[in-house]
Amino acid sequence: MTTRDPGDAGLVRRHLRLISGSGSDEAAHHPVTESDEIEGLVPTPRVYSRVTGPSWEANPPGRASNPLAAYADELARGTPPFATPRPRRPIIALRQISVGFGGVHALDQVDLDVAEHEVVAVVGENAAGKSTLAKVIAGVVQPSSGVIEVDGAPVTITDPGMARRLGIAMVFQELALADNLDVTANLFLGQERLHHGLLNVLEMEETARRHLNKIGARITSVRTPVGQLSGGQRQSIAIARAMLGEPRVILLDEPTSSLSITQTAEVLNLIQRLRDLGRAVVLISHNLGDVRAVADRVVVLRHGQNNGSAAMSDVSYEDIVAAVTGAVSTLPVPRQTATPRVSFTPSQAAEG
Amino acid sequence: MASGPLVFGSQTSLREANRARIVETIKSFGGLTQVELADATGLSSATVSIIVKELVHAGIVATRSTSRNGRRAIHVTLARRLGLVAGIHFSRRYLRVALADLSGEIVAEHGLPLSSDHRADTGLDRAALLITDMMTSIEAEREELLQVCLGLSAPLSSATGAIYTPGILRGWDGLDIAAALEQRLHVPVLIDNDANLGALAECRAGAGRESRMVVYLNVNEGIGAGLYLNGDIVRGATGAAGEIGHMSSDENGPICYCGNRGCLEMVAGSRAMLESLRPTHGDLRLSDLVAKAHEGDPGCRRVIGDSARRIGIALAQVCNILDPERVVVGGAIAATGDLFLDPLRVVTARHTLPGEGPSIDIVAGCLGERAEVTGAIFAALGAVTVPAGTLPLARSA
Repeated sequence: MTTRDPGDAGLVRRHLRLISGSGSDEAAHHPVTESDEIEGLVPTPRVYSRVTGPSWEANPPGRASNPLAAYADELARGTPPFATPRPRRPIIALRQISVGFGGVHALDQVDLDVAEHEVVAVVGENAAGKSTLAKVIAGVVQPSSGVIEVDGAPVTITDPGMARRLGIAMVFQELALADNLDVTANLFLGQERLHHGLLNVLEMEETARRHLNKIGARITSVRTPVGQLSGGQRQSIAIARAMLGEPRVILLDEPTSSLSITQTAEVLNLIQRLRDLGRAVVLISHNLGDVRAVADRVVVLRHGQNNGSAAMSDVSYEDIVAAVTGAVSTLPVPRQTATPRVSFTPSQAAEG
Repeated sequence: MASGPLVFGSQTSLREANRARIVETIKSFGGLTQVELADATGLSSATVSIIVKELVHAGIVATRSTSRNGRRAIHVTLARRLGLVAGIHFSRRYLRVALADLSGEIVAEHGLPLSSDHRADTGLDRAALLITDMMTSIEAEREELLQVCLGLSAPLSSATGAIYTPGILRGWDGLDIAAALEQRLHVPVLIDNDANLGALAECRAGAGRESRMVVYLNVNEGIGAGLYLNGDIVRGATGAAGEIGHMSSDENGPICYCGNRGCLEMVAGSRAMLESLRPTHGDLRLSDLVAKAHEGDPGCRRVIGDSARRIGIALAQVCNILDPERVVVGGAIAATGDLFLDPLRVVTARHTLPGEGPSIDIVAGCLGERAEVTGAIFAALGAVTVPAGTLPLARSA
C-alpha cells in the first residue's frame, strides 16, 4: 500500500495492463476503474449517480440508467431520493410490543429494528422500559402483545435458550459471573468442552485465549479467578462469554456504569470492534456521552413508549436530552428552516 | 538487542522472539507480575524469570517486590528513564493518550471513542483521568510526569492558545486549552494542531525521515496539513498555517463550519463523502467507507477517488508554492492505499509546475492512526526542561 508514485511510465504501464485485460486483482473485480478519468479525460457528468447511486453493476442499462426516468420512478413510489438512508433489512424487528406487570404498562406498543453492522442505543429515564425491552428480546420476559420478527419471520421467544438458538445473546447489568471460578471456567460455564467424559481444560483454555484475542479483550491470564479482575475486565469477560456462541445480536445492559475511565475505554473499543465484526449491538445506557461516541442510531423510550428514533449523525446531544425528558416527542427535532444536506457532486467543478 | 545475524528456528532466534513477546506484553498491560506474565505469554515461569533478569540487566524493564493474594510476587514494568511525558490527541471522533519515558519509549497507551461535537470540559476531564489511571497502572509517581502535549484537530492561535476560528470544533471555542488542562494535571501543557504533530512524527520517525521539506496531509474526519520545512514545523504568524482543509475549492459550495463557502473539507472531506453515499449505502462511518472500499464496493471506491481528485488540486497549489521533496499522507483515508493515492498523484502531478525531474513524491505515512499522538510525545520531549537535581531516580538503575 505504500507504493511510490509510479510516474508517467508507471501510469502508462498500468494502463496497458488495464487495456490488455491482464490487470491486477483490483481491476479484475472492479471492471469500471477510475482510470478513464485519472488519465485526464473530461469526466462525463454522471447525473444519474445522484439519483440511483453510483453502483454501475447494479444498474442494468435501460430505464434505470436514464436519470429522469429513475427519478420519476422514485417520486412515484413516494420515496424521496435524497437524505433518506436506504433502510437495511433488520435482523430483529419488534412490532407494537407491550408488556404489562399487573397494572403497570412497562412497555406500550414499542417498535425497534436492529440490523447487522449497527450499534443501536436505547436511552431513556429510569423506569422508561429500557431493560424490559432488552429482556423481551432475550426471552426473559414475555410480551403481552405484539410481534417479534427474526429475519422477517415472526417468532415467539419463550426462554433465553431459544433466544440463544436464534442468535441473540444478552449481557446483564449484573453480569452473572462466578467470582470464584477462573476466566476459562466462566466463559464455558454450562457449555464445558469434554474429552472422554472429562473436562478438556487444555482445549478450553486455548479457545478462551484465542477468543479473547479475537474480540480484543485485555485480559492477562485465562487462569485468573474472575473475582480478582477489574470492572472493565469483568465486563469484557461477560461480553466474551455472550460472544462465544457466535451470536448475531448482542444486548448490553448498562455496560459502562460504575467503570473507571480506562475500563470504559476498553468496553467502548470492544463495542466498536463487535460492530466492525458485523454484529448487531443493542446498547442500553444512561451515559449519553458514551452512547453518542459508539452508537449509529438512537431510540428513545419514555414511560414505556417510543419517543423518537434517529440516526446519530442527525441529532445533537440536546435533541436526545429533549426527547428523553419529554420536551419533544419526535427525533430528529424538526427545525424551523430545513438545512440542505451537503451533497458530494464531483461534476460541480466542470459545471461551474 | 540482537547481535549478529539470526537464523530462523535457532535457539537464539527463539530467545529473541520470547524477549520481544515479553516486552510487548508488558507494554500492552502497563505492568504485571511475573506469574501473570507467564500466563499472558504462555511461556514457562522459569523462562520468564530468566528473560526478565536479562531485561533488567539490559535496562529495559524494572522489577519491584509486591504481593498478590498474600503471596510474594515480582511486579515487572518497562524501565523508565528520568521521568515521563504524555501525548494526547483529540481527533473529531477519537481520543488517544500515550505515556512515554524521556528516551521516547512509549510505556502505556489508551484510546477512547468520542462523540461527534465533543465538548472541551468532559474531553479534558477524560484525558486527565486517563493519564492518572495509566500512571497508576505503571506505578508511577505523580512527580514523574514532566510535560504534556495536546494535539487538537483545529487551527490554534499562538497568541491566545484558543481555537483560531470559532465553529470548527464547536465544543472547544474560546477556551485557553493548555491552561485548562494544566489546572487539571498541574504540569506544563503544550498544545498544537494535530496535523503539525503528525508531520513532526512522520518526519522524525516515519515516511518523511530522509526529507528536508515535507508536506504532511491528514485526511480524516477533517482535512489538515502540517508543513515541515528544514527541520521545523511552520506555524505561520498566528498559528494557522497549513489549513489546507479550508482552501477554497468551490466558491459557490456549501457553507463551512468556519463561515466561508466551499472549503475543501466541505466538498471532499469525510462528511461530504459519507453524505453522498447515504441514499444508497445508508449511514456509514469513515471506517466502514474504508472497509467497503477494500472489499471492492464500487460506490465507495468512486467517492474516495473523487475526493482524492479534489484534494489533489488543492495539494498541487501548496506544492507550487512550497516545492516540497515529499508529501506524506496520513489519516484514516490513507489506509485505502492506492485507491486514494493514485488519483491524488495523477491530479497533483497535472496541476503542479512541470519540470525536468520526476513528479512530486506522494507516499502513505508509516505511523497510521498513531502519528499524531507520537508527534505529541516528540513535541513534549522537546519541551522538557528540568534542573538535573530534581529528577526522580531511574528505577532501572
